Amino acid sequence: MSMNILLIIALSPLVGAIIAGFFGRKIGKIGSHLVTIASVAVSCILSIQVLMGLVNGEFTVFNQNVYSWMVTGDVSLNVGFLVDSLTALMMSVVTFVSLMVHIYTIGYMHDDPGYQRFFSYISLFTFAMLMLVMSNNFLQLFFGWEAVGLVSYLLIGFWFKKETAIFANMKAFLVNRVGDFGFLIGIAAVMMAFGTLDYSEVFAQLPQFADKTISIFPGVEWSLMTFIAIALFIGAMGKSAQAPLHVWLPDSMEGPTPISALIHAATMVTAGIFMVSRMSPIFEMSDTALSFVMLIGAFTAFFMGLIGIVQNDIKRVVAYSTLSQLGYMTVALGVSAYSAAIFHLMTHAFFKALLFLGAGSVIIAMHHKQDMSEMGGLKKYMFITFITMWIGTLALTGFPGFSGFFSKDIIIEATHLSDRWGSSVAYIAVLFGVFITALYSFRLLYLTFHGKEKMDNHTKEHLKESPWVVTLPLVLLAIPSIAIGWMTIEPILFGGFLSDAIHVLPQNDVVKEIGQEHFHGAGSFVLHGLTQLPFFLALAGFALASYIYLKKISIADNAKKTFRPIYDLLQNKYGFDDFNQKYIAGGLVSLGNLLWKWSDSKLIDGLIVNGSAKLVNKISKVFRGFQSGYIYHYALVMAVAVILFIGVHVI
Amino acid sequence: MNSILGWSELTPILPELIILATACIVLVLGLFTSSEKGGLLVLTSIVGVVFAAITTAKFHMGDHELTRQVLFNGNFVRDYMGDILKIAVYAVMLFVFIYSKQYLRDKNIFKGEFFALMLFGMLGIMIMISGYNYITLYLGLELLALSSYALVAYDRDNMQSNESAMKYFILGAIASGMLLYGMSMIYGAVGTLQIDHVALQVSNTNNTMLLSFGLVFIMVGVAFKLGAAPFHMWVPDVYQGAPTATTLFISSAPKIAAFAFAIRLLAQSLEGLFDNWQHIISVIAMLSIIIGNLFALQQDNIKRLFAYSTISHIGFMLLGFVGGIDGYAASMFYIITYALMSVAGFGMIIILSCKGFEAEKISDFKGLNQRNAWFAFMMLLIVASMAGFPPLIGFFSKLVVLKAIVDQGYYVMAGIAVVFAVIGSFYYLKIIKVMYFDESESDQEITAGFDVKSILSFNALLQLGLLLFIPSILSYCIKAIETL
Amino acid sequence: MLEYLVSAEFYQIMLFYVYSFILLGAAMAVVTMRNSIYSALFLILSFFSAAALWLLLEAEFLALTLVLVYVGAVMVLFLFVIMMLDIKVKPNKGMSSYTKVGLFVALLMLVEMMMLLGKKLIPALPQDDLVKHIKGHSNVKEVAESLYTQYVLPFELASVILLVAIVAAILLTLRKRKDYNHVKPESQVHVKATNNRMRVVKMEAEKGNDIGGDS
Repeated sequence: MSMNILLIIALSPLVGAIIAGFFGRKIGKIGSHLVTIASVAVSCILSIQVLMGLVNGEFTVFNQNVYSWMVTGDVSLNVGFLVDSLTALMMSVVTFVSLMVHIYTIGYMHDDPGYQRFFSYISLFTFAMLMLVMSNNFLQLFFGWEAVGLVSYLLIGFWFKKETAIFANMKAFLVNRVGDFGFLIGIAAVMMAFGTLDYSEVFAQLPQFADKTISIFPGVEWSLMTFIAIALFIGAMGKSAQAPLHVWLPDSMEGPTPISALIHAATMVTAGIFMVSRMSPIFEMSDTALSFVMLIGAFTAFFMGLIGIVQNDIKRVVAYSTLSQLGYMTVALGVSAYSAAIFHLMTHAFFKALLFLGAGSVIIAMHHKQDMSEMGGLKKYMFITFITMWIGTLALTGFPGFSGFFSKDIIIEATHLSDRWGSSVAYIAVLFGVFITALYSFRLLYLTFHGKEKMDNHTKEHLKESPWVVTLPLVLLAIPSIAIGWMTIEPILFGGFLSDAIHVLPQNDVVKEIGQEHFHGAGSFVLHGLTQLPFFLALAGFALASYIYLKKISIADNAKKTFRPIYDLLQNKYGFDDFNQKYIAGGLVSLGNLLWKWSDSKLIDGLIVNGSAKLVNKISKVFRGFQSGYIYHYALVMAVAVILFIGVHVI
Repeated sequence: MNSILGWSELTPILPELIILATACIVLVLGLFTSSEKGGLLVLTSIVGVVFAAITTAKFHMGDHELTRQVLFNGNFVRDYMGDILKIAVYAVMLFVFIYSKQYLRDKNIFKGEFFALMLFGMLGIMIMISGYNYITLYLGLELLALSSYALVAYDRDNMQSNESAMKYFILGAIASGMLLYGMSMIYGAVGTLQIDHVALQVSNTNNTMLLSFGLVFIMVGVAFKLGAAPFHMWVPDVYQGAPTATTLFISSAPKIAAFAFAIRLLAQSLEGLFDNWQHIISVIAMLSIIIGNLFALQQDNIKRLFAYSTISHIGFMLLGFVGGIDGYAASMFYIITYALMSVAGFGMIIILSCKGFEAEKISDFKGLNQRNAWFAFMMLLIVASMAGFPPLIGFFSKLVVLKAIVDQGYYVMAGIAVVFAVIGSFYYLKIIKVMYFDESESDQEITAGFDVKSILSFNALLQLGLLLFIPSILSYCIKAIETL
Repeated sequence: MLEYLVSAEFYQIMLFYVYSFILLGAAMAVVTMRNSIYSALFLILSFFSAAALWLLLEAEFLALTLVLVYVGAVMVLFLFVIMMLDIKVKPNKGMSSYTKVGLFVALLMLVEMMMLLGKKLIPALPQDDLVKHIKGHSNVKEVAESLYTQYVLPFELASVILLVAIVAAILLTLRKRKDYNHVKPESQVHVKATNNRMRVVKMEAEKGNDIGGDS
């Protein structure tokens, strides 16, 4: 493939963003959305073409530097593209979802004063995300990483007059800083150990570093690879919202729904997953790191799903489900099933974007109310939304045949087969996660679309299906949510499509094992799935939710009362927020106050700054006496200086 | 071998000859020009300088870019460093001519002699840059000094101008005497005055006692000319007393000459005594930085303030001299950028002055932003560059020097220099504060012509624009020092 | 030893020291004298001594030039100026504090120079190789040769310096007096008889006693 195509893919959204951002006033609303949609559409079509080319074998892997930014000593910092199957897949997913969201936004934001700004931001996001996935070196990866973080920050706080939005974007920013710090340390460690930031050069040197250790604290020897892998993964934890750095994601729902779909479900939050897959050669060197990854993922998958059950805000439920699904992907990474993680990433991008956009459609109809306890019975009013949401939910819960079923089942199976330390715990977590997923997903559906209509009359009168710009993306996303699993499971997981990008040690390769022992085509995989435990667990969740929310809603209230402590624990999200708020944020604020009051204003300002200024003033006043204006004083100084110089330096 | 001079020797000295001829033409033209219509004199001077620049550039570009031509029986040298420094001098002098026209007219003291004297001074500068014999160097110095004395006293009805000229003259004579005495000591020790012969003899002789004795006196002369502490006492008085157009001149191009003078004498001829003069120069440099910055804090006259700032800048420049080859190149870079900075600073004072009003108090800059936001911004650029705030050129010149000495392991000196540069930034900030945050005391319009305004803007914007050329200028400097 | 005492070298050295001391003494006197006329006269004496020293070095041309130019021209002019300026001589009130400081500094310098140069220089004094030119050696020619070949550039530069000095001196001292009525011959020549030299005034004829009053 030629470099020009790649440059067009990457830069066209940037151009769109610039035009909409700087000239938005001039070209108006329609001009803004036309130009951004066109630019993203160009990227999308070309990305899919690139993907197809790679699948057909027309194109080969592209790895080349485009521009040399600077060269210092032996290190050259470049902007370059590495486009292989993994990248092409990500590019297609990102641009496709982005395109859908662009179209959807026309309907969702149509009377928002920041219309042009919003389009500019999401196009800018698309550019940043493409730079991230297309990078061939750590520096550019970091650039994209920070750029998507920046746009995420801007978009969470898009309604900057809303207190909660400002709080949420600050929170997202700060939490991500923690993760990025780890990431930066990881990159620095790579730089230090390998002397280069180029992926292929780093990977080529890996075997020499297998047994290398470093000691950060004297006496404690750490495997270099473990250190690098965990440091990089801390970055992924921030971006992909893994516990305990997940706290920003639910709050990010304060932003407009389209970006919740695009950034906080489908693309940006999966950057961490993508990054770990991209770094699979590094992670494969350290079993310790992989165990760590897996356990973090398992914890997130299970416990975050639990919180979803008690949430009443429609977007928050979807947000917690996103956390849980990200946990699944992370587990897959931890058991070396990188391709399964990427597969789930892809299917999840479609059905989760669908769910979010569907939720957004509901929110439009409800006049921007998000509380599910005020909804119900909406299926009469908005049929397309209802159907597509059902499709999305079935995909999410892993109903056999839907896309989510394939990816999730593979992950569970892979975890089961893995013999990594702690994999049994992870297996239990992901297994029962299925039950929980089904429970909260169907709860959402029933509360929203079925049952009694609990909204007020005014809202009821205005209830209607959303405009076509909203429903079209829903339909377009529903199609891959159903079908993409069928179509791609074989090539992606077992056909070696990702083998040029992902490196798995033979003894860790659980996906291959599944392929050899259990997989005989997608159809039989579905039939096999009908006899497996996950399916029954999902069915159980479905049945329970149906019983409670369709028949006896009082059970939910009774359960709330009976299990009060557990309910409170879940409502408080296990206290992560309170802990951060009280001890980490509060502690830092009081430390800051202490430093400010005592060290800054007393010591630095009082003693060093003002004190030194006073001292300098005094000294200069004393010396000023010499500058008397008399020639003989000046001449005397000169003579004395000569004598001193001779005296000191010559004699 | 002594030889009668021929054309081959006259061509490399053509720039000097052009300047001399221009000076004489301007001198004569001045007699026939009324003070209201001085444009012709400025134009002639500029044309002369431009011609000189063209010839210098032509020789520089020619086949012998990197070769060194020693001419006039070892009295004159044309080399890479000389060419680069001369081109810098031409550039600075063009600014000087254009700015001073405005000032002299406003003050009603426009005369041909002013420009003639400047051109003679410029000739002295060029001789100081290209002299290859102690005598030639000394004569260049005297030519420059004599022109400067006359220029300082130029506004002869002004008592301040006379007083400062007197101080300058007497102290300058003392310094010249010391310089000559030092040179005679060196001559006594090595028996020659030609730079390269001295260098050769110095490395052979073991009579370092006499040599280093002479060296101290030579350094007095150099330090005086540069205005480095403790031989700096004349600087503030002269800068303040002289007509601003003169201050503009003596604060810029002669510093380049003094740098070349120091390179020729210290680095080129007395390289063998490096260990001896290095200590003295580091003391002089540190004293200059300390005294310059401390005293500047007390000033409310902006010309005086710039004088002390010059002293500290010279100190910074001299720091480079302890850093060996890289250090010399860094100093060269520093002095060139400093000259362009200084000429812009005094140009700003000139442009704010007008008939019957001299903008020399810091308070005269109050509220400049309200009066003329563009020139307030220009002044901001200049002052910030002087203070060494990134990303202006002043920052990079400081950085280059500091890097050179840190590479040689002089951490303490670099540290002190940075501390005092920070202290110094206070008084620069004071100017900025006054311009932007204080209420204007007058509603004086800027009456300067369009040409002066635009050239000054260009000069100020150079503080940013030169950033693009840092690598190339720096590489010129390094090449210049390497081909000495 | 006795032989040395009657040799030419000995007398040359003796004369060197004699003139040197006179030169230094006279130079000291120039600075310390309160009366400027005396100072000027001592300056002349020091020039003479310097000329004598040059004679000892067989640089007759330089010696003569020094006497002719400095003593004959410059110093005489100097004396004129001093006498015309009518400077009042202040009575000598002993050493001022500045003098004390100055003497102290000078003493320090002297000590340093003795420490440095004293023991090094004395044995190096030229005793045997005093300058001795052959008969018929032209001092003028030698100076000329040096000036116009080896040192032609400095020589020309010196001339530029003198030019600058002249320009500067004139610039700083020449004043046009505004109350000075001078005749301009060139405009006198251009006067035309009809317009400039003669003015025809038309007057009305006198009318009776009506005299005076502005017209």
